[in-house]
Amino acid sequence: MAEIGLRNLTKVYGQDVTAVDSIDLDVRDGEFMVLLGPSGCGKSTTLRMIAGLEAVTSGEIMIDGDVVNDVDPAERDLAVVFQNYALYPHMSVAGNLSFGLKLRKLPRDEIDRRIAATADMLGIGDLLKRRPRQLSGGQQQRVALGRALVRDPAAFLFDEPLSNLDAKLRAAMRTELIKLHRMLGKTIVHVTHDQVEAMTMGERICIMRDGRIVQVGPPLEVYRNPADTFVAGFLASPPMNLLDARLGGETGLDEVELPPVGLPLLARHKEALQGRAGGAITLGIRPEDLDVEPSAAQHAAMTVTVVAVEALGPEVILVGALPGGQEVSARLESDFAAPAGSEVQLHVDLERLHFFDTDTGRAVTAS
Amino acid sequence: MVAQLLPHAVLIAFSAAILLPLLWLLRVALTDKTTAYKIPPEWGQASIGNFVEIFTGYPFFNYFINSVTVAIGATVIALPLAAAIAYAFARYNTGGMSLRLVVLSSQMLPPVILVLPLFTLFLKAQLLNSLVGLIAAHLTISLPFLAWLLVAFFDRNIALVEEAARVDGATRLQTFLRITLPVAAPGILAAGLLSFILSWNEFLFALILSGPQTNTLPVGLSSFQTHRGVDISLLSAATICAILPVFVLLPFMRRYLIKGLSLGALK
Repeated sequence: MAEIGLRNLTKVYGQDVTAVDSIDLDVRDGEFMVLLGPSGCGKSTTLRMIAGLEAVTSGEIMIDGDVVNDVDPAERDLAVVFQNYALYPHMSVAGNLSFGLKLRKLPRDEIDRRIAATADMLGIGDLLKRRPRQLSGGQQQRVALGRALVRDPAAFLFDEPLSNLDAKLRAAMRTELIKLHRMLGKTIVHVTHDQVEAMTMGERICIMRDGRIVQVGPPLEVYRNPADTFVAGFLASPPMNLLDARLGGETGLDEVELPPVGLPLLARHKEALQGRAGGAITLGIRPEDLDVEPSAAQHAAMTVTVVAVEALGPEVILVGALPGGQEVSARLESDFAAPAGSEVQLHVDLERLHFFDTDTGRAVTAS
Repeated sequence: MVAQLLPHAVLIAFSAAILLPLLWLLRVALTDKTTAYKIPPEWGQASIGNFVEIFTGYPFFNYFINSVTVAIGATVIALPLAAAIAYAFARYNTGGMSLRLVVLSSQMLPPVILVLPLFTLFLKAQLLNSLVGLIAAHLTISLPFLAWLLVAFFDRNIALVEEAARVDGATRLQTFLRITLPVAAPGILAAGLLSFILSWNEFLFALILSGPQTNTLPVGLSSFQTHRGVDISLLSAATICAILPVFVLLPFMRRYLIKGLSLGALK
């Protein structure tokens, strides 16, 4: 069991390359925390600092309240599953699993018992005598996971362990890791750049960009209330439509103008946008909040010219152009069809509009 | 037709250029002294008389033992030291690029520049005409060379596996001994064989620093060139004996070197 706390954690490479910039994060005991961000955002560096594989430039790492900055990785009682698995190539699968246990001088029968239990859990019992290079990618992945599980550590650190698997296997392993977490109840910090992984696996997700934490929260909360345009654009596929718009109407705060349409503002939006009358604003609309039928209670319509229709099977993504030239994506029922160049009316759910400051990209919310 | 024959013709020509001297050597070694010099070459009566004579009439067996001792001694000492140096270079970037260049620079000098100071040092330390001295002298060649060679084997892939071991609970030393060395073993073995061959063939240091009791094979071979001329048939027999161990080791070296350079254990 372990709580992991990061305090002002910073990593600077060389003189001036700041990989992680003074981040604070608390991972609760037994929590499945996902660090999500594009490559180079500092998420892997953060994980490596927690593991002790990377020296901390400044700030503190705490495990169960103790500062572990200078504690050897061997002493931190954490297990890491690496992206490339990093199995010991000269040892059999059984040797890979038992290496950490032998170092801890566990009795032989205890080691055998644990290997058998772990191999059984992961279904790698008949691979125990093989060498890593005789295994498929998926099997290697299981062995790497087994090597972490068999030690029964206080917490697990996953460094993009699923990214080398094919799509089908990845989906299966996602489910398996979620089950495993439920069964073991251990703290897990999982690094990924895949937003589907983050949304489906994380109890909370921590979104990073340029070495800083942008937003932390449960997946749906982050999805519903993105803190800025980066999170809004990163967290779904297709991402939220971000449109350059202007506040207008008689008072300058009656509607949000996407010429030629003006979408009326609801009372709570007006409250949040107080003081921005007539100003520029970035309007965010999720593709699923656009529909060809007026399905929402409060809605407004806008006309788009069809640019492309992508049939995905269960749904259709319509890419359309607004009269002003900005493109929007809409997630529609699978029976939707329209030729390119034709005009389609889309209804916007006014309850679900998002507003972001055009300059800073930060979400505008009622304070 | 020509397109098929031409490559073969070129390859046969090159093979002949490489193999003919060796075959010639074999022929001369197996003929008697008078036939050996005849042009055009004659086969005469093949016999192993020359081989018998170099071992009975000359201290050739002694040279052989000296060479084995020096080559194995130099390799056994150089290999662990070079592995440690290479590991420090690869993993900790000890001394930066400049130290690596310093190490390499000793290899850029002609060996004869090293021989004179070594001679003076060995004279003072009474290491002349001793196998220990010769081993030390050979280390000046093999140590920097092996260190450079081995840096390539302690690459990023092994570093990743080392990290896994560190998290698994191994100390730095345990990681080096139980992970790094075994994983890099093919490369280290290849380097060891190379070191052995370097030392085995070394002539200049052995000529100047050794004496009658400690002559190695290359020096021994040169002694067949006397003031009465070169005893070509004995020299040929001796040369064949001298290159035989290298011939035996080469295929192993090639295999380990390739295996070492392509440690395909990681995705």
